[in-house]
Amino acid sequence: MTGLLTYTYDWSVVWKSIPFFERGLTVTLRITVFSIAFSLVLGLIVALVRMTPGPIGMIGFAYIQVFRALSLYVYILFLYFGIAAVAPTLIGVRIDLDPFTAGIVALTLLNSAYMAEIYRAAILAIDSGQREAARSLGLGSASTFATVIFPQAWRIALPALVNQFCDIIKDTSVVALIGVSDLMYQAIERNSFYQHSFEIFTSVAAIYFVLVFIVAQLAGRLEKRLQRHLA
Amino acid sequence: MIFLDVVYQFDWSVVTDRWRQFAEGAWVDVWVAILGFGFACLLGLGNAMLRTSGVNLFKIPSFLYVQVMRGVPLYVMILWVYFGIANVLGVNFTSYQAMVIALALTGSGYTTEIFRAGLTAIDRGQMEAARSIGLNRVRTYGHVILPQALRIVVPPLGNTFVGLFKGATLMSVIAVPDMVFLANELNVTLFTPFEVFTAVAIILIVLVFFFSALVYVLERRLKIAT
Repeated sequence: MTGLLTYTYDWSVVWKSIPFFERGLTVTLRITVFSIAFSLVLGLIVALVRMTPGPIGMIGFAYIQVFRALSLYVYILFLYFGIAAVAPTLIGVRIDLDPFTAGIVALTLLNSAYMAEIYRAAILAIDSGQREAARSLGLGSASTFATVIFPQAWRIALPALVNQFCDIIKDTSVVALIGVSDLMYQAIERNSFYQHSFEIFTSVAAIYFVLVFIVAQLAGRLEKRLQRHLA
Repeated sequence: MIFLDVVYQFDWSVVTDRWRQFAEGAWVDVWVAILGFGFACLLGLGNAMLRTSGVNLFKIPSFLYVQVMRGVPLYVMILWVYFGIANVLGVNFTSYQAMVIALALTGSGYTTEIFRAGLTAIDRGQMEAARSIGLNRVRTYGHVILPQALRIVVPPLGNTFVGLFKGATLMSVIAVPDMVFLANELNVTLFTPFEVFTAVAIILIVLVFFFSALVYVLERRLKIAT
């Protein structure tokens, strides 16, 4: 056991790990971008399903409730091990996702539920007069949504959506647990190689922090730009 | 494509025979999350009081603290506390302690902002009035500011708790024997991935629904009281 005064820092292990971190970071970024893109689309679809009256709306509601209640780790285990094992028997199709794809699928499904609620709140925030006016001008319900409602709702939803992006970046670290060689995975590998946990995990924490910080800053700027016309 | 696959034999008795173990595992998740959340609240409240105290010296450190705690993934935080900090300070945290600390640190980033919002929502006149009738700073906070701020912060704090509880399911990565740890172990020894992970997912969903309902009820009751 090392004491406070006897621990010898060796930050050179961080420099030596940089090539590994770089490789991991590209994987993390790829997962992040795919998950964000897919969940933005799926989230909107779920929101629209949720807002449909009747039993279809209930399906959307159930989807949102279930996926918001699951943690990513539990869902990834369920998907990667559970579903993969029973799919051939139950539905006759092999669902043999590689860890990378499984990670993206899990992140997309969970986050689309959160994003659906964000979209829904934004769409509900648009004054109903907008819709009525568009409809009375003769626009169909699809083009009313596409040309009148959504362009306005998108601006309202953006800040909350970007918060969600930050959560996605952080959540990607969990995919290391099913063997995706992302940043976190590389950190754990390097740690077992060098046995300098403090240096390794501090630097990895710093990298994640910087990523999240950059996205939050970009979001702030984008938000200002999108709302310039309101000022 | 299917010819290589063996038909999956469902064996739910793996779960039903061990319902006690699953319940005990879930209980570990619950109490570790509650402890972590409790410390996160204390840290957050202290930090928010520093931040709103008007002393400029505290402002930037407090702001940075929040950014860092919210910017670092929980998984990184857990390993950082359990291996990194333990290494440097020469303290051997048990895996339970490390998990509670990691949850408290991550959670405090969120609770600070919630308490800050709650404290700044209280009209300045309340503080001034309390001070001018002779209450000291501590009593002003204890009798006047905090009771009012608490009503505002309970609903968002409840959501933070639910988030931390979901995060708590990561604790098996440092070998805390919670329900996910149990499921992983059963999967490796008996190869029943579908049953055990379905069981864990269902327990998690039920518990999250329960806590969310609790938050909702609290929220309604506090609203009526004001």
